[in-house]
Amino acid sequence: MTFSLKTHSSWPQDSVSRLTFPIIAGIRIALSLANVTKSLRSNPLLSSPLDSFLNLQEGVYLFKHAEDPYSGGSFHHSPLFLSIFTTLLPSSQYSPLIWAFCDIAGALALVSIWRARQNTSTSSWGDLITIAYILNPYVILPSLAMSTSSLENMLILITLKFASQGRQPPTLLFLAFLVQVSLSYLLLILPIFVLVNMGPSSQLAKPHGSTVPIRPIASMFGKFLVYSLCLTFASTIIANGWSWTSQTWGASLLLPDLTPNPGLWWYFFTEMFDHFRPFFLMVFSVHLLIYVFPVFLKFRYDPLYASFILIGILGIFKPYPTLASPGLFISMIVIFPEIYAYLRHPVVTVLLYLHASLLMPLFHGLWLQQGTGNANFFYASTLVFACANGAALIDCIWAGLRLAIGPDSEEYVIIQE
Amino acid sequence: MALLHSLLLKITTRLKSHEIRIRRRRAFGAWLTRHATLLRIILFFIGYAWMIVIPSPRLGRGIYIDENALQPAQANTYWGWGDVRNADRYLEQLEYLRDANATSEHRAQFLKNEFTKLGISASIQAYTYTLGTNVLNGNNAYAVFSSPRASGTEAIVISASWISRIDEGNGTLNLRGISTLLALAAFLKRYSLWAKDIVFVVSDGYLDGMHAWLNAYHGETQSNLLAEPLYLSSGVVWTALNIDYPGHSFSHLGIFYAEGCNGRLPNQDLQNSIYWIARSSGVPVTVYDHIDTPVSSLSFNWLPDALQKEVRIYTQHARNILRHVKYQARGLPSGVHGLYHQYRIDAVTIFGIPATGPHGFHSIGRVAESTLRTMNNLLERLHASFFFFILAAPERFLKIGHYLPSALVISAATMFGGLKAWTDAGWASEIQSTKTYDKGISHQRKHRPILGVITLMASMHTVGLILFWAVMSSWYMNNSHMSFLLFATTTALVLLIAGLYRSHYGSDLYSHSQILKSFNLSLASAIISITTILNFSLAAILAILLGIPLSICIPSSPTASLPTRVLRYIPYALLGVGWLLFPSKQVEQALWHWEVLSVWFVPFVCIVYTPIVLQAGLVGLI
Repeated sequence: MTFSLKTHSSWPQDSVSRLTFPIIAGIRIALSLANVTKSLRSNPLLSSPLDSFLNLQEGVYLFKHAEDPYSGGSFHHSPLFLSIFTTLLPSSQYSPLIWAFCDIAGALALVSIWRARQNTSTSSWGDLITIAYILNPYVILPSLAMSTSSLENMLILITLKFASQGRQPPTLLFLAFLVQVSLSYLLLILPIFVLVNMGPSSQLAKPHGSTVPIRPIASMFGKFLVYSLCLTFASTIIANGWSWTSQTWGASLLLPDLTPNPGLWWYFFTEMFDHFRPFFLMVFSVHLLIYVFPVFLKFRYDPLYASFILIGILGIFKPYPTLASPGLFISMIVIFPEIYAYLRHPVVTVLLYLHASLLMPLFHGLWLQQGTGNANFFYASTLVFACANGAALIDCIWAGLRLAIGPDSEEYVIIQE
Repeated sequence: MALLHSLLLKITTRLKSHEIRIRRRRAFGAWLTRHATLLRIILFFIGYAWMIVIPSPRLGRGIYIDENALQPAQANTYWGWGDVRNADRYLEQLEYLRDANATSEHRAQFLKNEFTKLGISASIQAYTYTLGTNVLNGNNAYAVFSSPRASGTEAIVISASWISRIDEGNGTLNLRGISTLLALAAFLKRYSLWAKDIVFVVSDGYLDGMHAWLNAYHGETQSNLLAEPLYLSSGVVWTALNIDYPGHSFSHLGIFYAEGCNGRLPNQDLQNSIYWIARSSGVPVTVYDHIDTPVSSLSFNWLPDALQKEVRIYTQHARNILRHVKYQARGLPSGVHGLYHQYRIDAVTIFGIPATGPHGFHSIGRVAESTLRTMNNLLERLHASFFFFILAAPERFLKIGHYLPSALVISAATMFGGLKAWTDAGWASEIQSTKTYDKGISHQRKHRPILGVITLMASMHTVGLILFWAVMSSWYMNNSHMSFLLFATTTALVLLIAGLYRSHYGSDLYSHSQILKSFNLSLASAIISITTILNFSLAAILAILLGIPLSICIPSSPTASLPTRVLRYIPYALLGVGWLLFPSKQVEQALWHWEVLSVWFVPFVCIVYTPIVLQAGLVGLI
């Protein structure tokens, strides 16, 4: 195969690579202690109302003073976060370190996924994975802003790691946690269940029509329900009532807070007449479900790849995305080196990302700080960002399918996959 | 059987249509590859030609008032000769203070007393800037006249700085401006129609005093500024008027309409209103201090009559627009009004262009009064008219669509260059035959060395960052004559990096250099197209400086000798770091604006512009 593992030749040798991980981790920890990152916390690109650290602090404060944080309508974090940040990890000047360690844990999980997929134990590619995850600007910036979307990313990666290793109970536990803190990730349960049963090894080059094991999946689903019910019950005890459901899960379905974010929902619902709102909320939410079965059917032989594609779709169409959601998708590309040779327009995608990354903060500033622009400017830049995400996603789907047909040939052209 | 036959026929036709599509696509691709250079040349030509056409009287349109609430020049004005005498008396006292070499505290105290005598609460704000070893301090005097009609949630600011903007704040005093302000305070207080608080500010120095005052008013802190908090405060400021009247009399009222810090422009409605007001008061208006003399210094007599007028208007417009570019590209405010913009306050300066007559306190007072009445009418922030425009003449302007595409087209040409270089780097051999699209291209995919090139680009931007630190250091501030040393060090550092890079990647440096060119062009294109929205003048300058020079850099061939390569690099080094060799006053001014007013021109040049040009130099060097 001709994929560009050739870059190894220029990549540091093993003696150096032993140092790479500690250096990257050190940089990440050092950055988290830098004072400048405080100004990032209120940046709407890095934290949406559902995962902003400032909102979390407010909720914790109310909770400590025996007020119901869910009664005010500004706190949308899961009661699990509420209890963790009230008891185990109270807010202090060292709180940023939690996010640094979560990033590092996420990177380690990603390396484990890669190892499980390639069935190797050592590889200098692992360093590149660490760099691609920890130093990805879309991952590190929300994490420095202490957005809980970074914690969600870590939960996804750990879930995928346990699923890749075929370890059912921890997979289900972490998946239940993930769905508790962010309902949108329900989309991932099907490929993750199959991943536990079928293993993560790369089947893209030789797809086979393997039957999906229905019975184990059904039993896993049952266990998942039990885990979820336990956590839901725990949340209810923590929050002392059911008010949390409408403020956390409900918020991602009913979109109560229209603070601008890099996603596609907020502008649409700001512009809309109120009597159309319920209908379009339904359309937008159901629209997310449409993707699950086609993607899963097309990639049923490689459930890890199917989860990767669904993560990309969530990064574009989630109700309250931050840069961290597409960031995870971009970083995950690094564990699928076999598709690189078949990407059709990687440079165009990169350029779209470059433009979007420059335009979004600029237009947000023109609108809300300088006052010379308006909401349409920022919305246009989020559309560029969505195009970039879409280009990356479509290219990855194409390359993942195209891989099965093999390298280009002089005489033949692929019309359809 | 018939069914099978029809199915087969269907499949064949489908395949046929696919074949036609694919052939067409390939033919188009081949055509595009063959004509890519021509396409780029055409785009560059369109872009640069468009830039030349911008001052043309055929582009653009006449100004108009968009916000209905403004109602400019609709109010009766009451400013009369009694107020002029009042202003004259204030002027005498100010001249006495000037001749007595009064200190800054003394002056501020005098102004405060005068405001207090009028029954307006007034105060003094002292401020100190620490710039390396230099200390800059002063005292602002300000007064707040509470609105008789409203609760004081909104305010209008009228300001005059101690030093006039003439010769870019070179030291001429703005005594008549301040006298007008004081007389206006006495005059405006007599009327009860004000719906907004009126804040009078006499700021010390040229830009520094007003910056300190605005900083304190909006509760911001700046590490090198120690400004006293304000004892008197008022509401949100939407609009502000700055009065600058340095001469004995004036012939024209110059509207310094635009350029705020970092190239932000105020809403065009404000400038248009003042234009209408001044016109209806019989005061001729011009932009900047450009007086259109009837006999132009340039003679176009040899042209046909019809063209003569057009060319004359073109030169006048070009002069105004070049002045605009001179301020905006460097992010310099063209006057005290420019400081307001960063707080979302739309402000302009009215500037009495020194002359022997015929206008004086009477005219400027009436214009100011009527302008304040117009501002007083506002019900919401100015938003209706344009924020993105170029004023070619007092009554003509260009909309964003008339000028923006010029830089965008150049940016697109640059981007095509980048994509072309990327494609070239991916194929081992180029198109051999140009006649048929199928046979000519040899399908030898080549590995593209991306990681090394990205590391190289990152290291160039790090060099830019180091250069920025060096320029900002106190060492440079004290020894600015050493800038040649800095220039030589940076140039040599790039040579060193190129040498290291060559020795690390011994083989196939040609494709490295092609990839570098591709990435560099793409980055430059992104920077140009995004800067157009933020600061068009800067984007246009970048398009001129980066567009063609970056596109024509030749990737280093394996056979090129060291002297050839260095020779190719030298022009880029001069283009990229050559600004260090400029007169140190220019660099110092830019640094002052960064340190005091946070104008990001210097960091932009060091961290974005210089590395991009140096990378173009590296294309031929590695």
